[in-house]
Amino acid sequence: MAVTANYQESTKSRLLLPKERQSRFVISPVKGVARGAAVTFLSLVVLIPFAALITNAFNGGVSGFWNAVTAKESLHAIGLTFFCAALGSALNSAAGLATAWVLVRDRFWGQGLLNALIDLPFALPTVVAGVTLYTLYGPLSPIHLSLTGTWIGITLAIMFVTLPFTVRAVQPVLETMTFTAQAAAATLGASPIRIFRTITLPALAPALLAGTGLAFARSIGEYGSVVFISNNLPYKTELASSYIFSLTSSSQNTAASAASLALLVVAMALLGLFSVLSYHFSRGNR
Amino acid sequence: MRFFSSLIRGSIALGIAGALVLSPALLGEAGATTSTVNVVGYSVAGLGIRALEAAFQGTPAGANVTFNNTFGASDTMTTNVANGQAADFVNLSYSPNLTTLVGAGKVPANWASQELTVGGVNVNLTGNKQQTVYNTPGILTDSAVVFVVRQGNPLKIKNWADLVKPGVQIVTPNPTSSGSARWNLLAAYTAQIALKKTSHQAIDYLKKLLSNVVAQPTSGSLSMSAFVAGTGNVLLAYEDDAKAAIAAGNNIQFITPPQTMLIENPAALTTTGLANPAAVAFYKYAFSKAGQVILAGLGYRPVLKSIATITASSFTNFTKKNSLLRVTDINKNGWTSANLQFFSPTVTFPAGNTTYPRFGIVTYLEQFVGSNG
Repeated sequence: MAVTANYQESTKSRLLLPKERQSRFVISPVKGVARGAAVTFLSLVVLIPFAALITNAFNGGVSGFWNAVTAKESLHAIGLTFFCAALGSALNSAAGLATAWVLVRDRFWGQGLLNALIDLPFALPTVVAGVTLYTLYGPLSPIHLSLTGTWIGITLAIMFVTLPFTVRAVQPVLETMTFTAQAAAATLGASPIRIFRTITLPALAPALLAGTGLAFARSIGEYGSVVFISNNLPYKTELASSYIFSLTSSSQNTAASAASLALLVVAMALLGLFSVLSYHFSRGNR
Repeated sequence: MRFFSSLIRGSIALGIAGALVLSPALLGEAGATTSTVNVVGYSVAGLGIRALEAAFQGTPAGANVTFNNTFGASDTMTTNVANGQAADFVNLSYSPNLTTLVGAGKVPANWASQELTVGGVNVNLTGNKQQTVYNTPGILTDSAVVFVVRQGNPLKIKNWADLVKPGVQIVTPNPTSSGSARWNLLAAYTAQIALKKTSHQAIDYLKKLLSNVVAQPTSGSLSMSAFVAGTGNVLLAYEDDAKAAIAAGNNIQFITPPQTMLIENPAALTTTGLANPAAVAFYKYAFSKAGQVILAGLGYRPVLKSIATITASSFTNFTKKNSLLRVTDINKNGWTSANLQFFSPTVTFPAGNTTYPRFGIVTYLEQFVGSNG
């Protein structure tokens, strides 16, 4: 979300600069109330729980935090989570771009239905998705494809639940894109691949990165859809979300908070990197 | 235009949220005389508790009682209740969960004696009170650890030794969240001791058993789901869950190993439950002859001696020596010590030994098998 906001803001603020500057000095009562409400809301929903998480994570001091994060089971679960999340969201960014492209640039029968289906993974409770995938790709798979207890199965589940992110991020950009530059490049003899690489992709990059970033962030916290298909075997196929769930179940709250915080910090670092990349691309476009 | 559409969207969202917040209050008002009992139970208890509730609602005492049920992995449920989830009546997998709730101030320390004071069941076998089979106070149902296999038992699994053979794929829940998992692993260990193995040999056995485990779902009932969906070829489960799954028409059967463990699932009224007459009446019903007959019919072993005698033919009997082991067979302090010895998250070794932990045996073995298997 942060990435999209940045992108929009950077274009918007150019247009609205004089007015924005004005309002910085004269805060109307309405704006003051709105700001206060926004800050209160954000504190209640995000900041306070986050602060509590940090406090809990360091209940056992810095060494307690470090020991909990570097426990073998924790490292293994976090590593597997990042691997599958990265793979799943990377594959989805390619698949999502292709899907969005087809939905925007093509006209075919059933397009509206396909477009509506994209959001299905969002609407479906993830546990239902998990059970469905388990029946489809489990040991009794009707298509004879058993992926339970493998990283492939986990990645597949992640791709299923995060598919809408890239599609929905790229779609509006594609819809408003005028293809005049591409046409000009084509008349100058550039190959379709070169046109895509040098003109289309850079223009789509911020949206694509935003979608991929969101998909990645969503997948590292994914629980319901992956907990069945992973077989939940500690040190082998146990994911971070499930590991943290087990820890809270057995009242190891400090360790659970520590592992969550580690997961969050790495995720935020990656999202930051995406944000920087996105900024870089959107500047390059001007 | 955009402002208006977002305003409309905002009001719709607020409306829905408001309706969601208000609906329980409105519904509550509609039937002013009903009372609600919050029930929290371990995953496999669901079947029995729901049947008890339905039958209880058919009695005068339960006519206007509604239930709020939550079932899940026993340790998870315990943590939720300790952290404030509303609960009047709890039915958990094993007694350390109740010790946790006593520590959290949710359940009175003398919860086990509610069986006598509320339920009118006397474990000490005196007077005209109902008498129990195994003399453990505060237990609502008994069960045993069994092996669930595919129909026809293709791998010819008969005893514990068969489970550690190559090619056997075991499903058992994750002991960090599930009480059922802990019963299973303790049964495996205690069976080895009953077979005259040393404690070190029994730990070696557990190691082999764990390296044959292919899935550790978070709860007992999710393990059953995974097994029924085709994962593995042996499931370690509660006898009652196995019976229920067979009754549901699944293509499986179960084998009672020659040595198994007596599972005792405690139930108790919380402090809020003791103050809730409907919860007290439900507790009384659960421990009554009528309640125990319902549970026995669903495959849970009844704790009342009179009902156990009547229903004996529908359960495997354990008359042979060492066929039914108890937690106190490994440790006379029972669960209190066994829990630390096997499931402590911190692994501690005795001096001069790095293979056989004193505390956290299973924690250590999971790590060992996970890193080397």
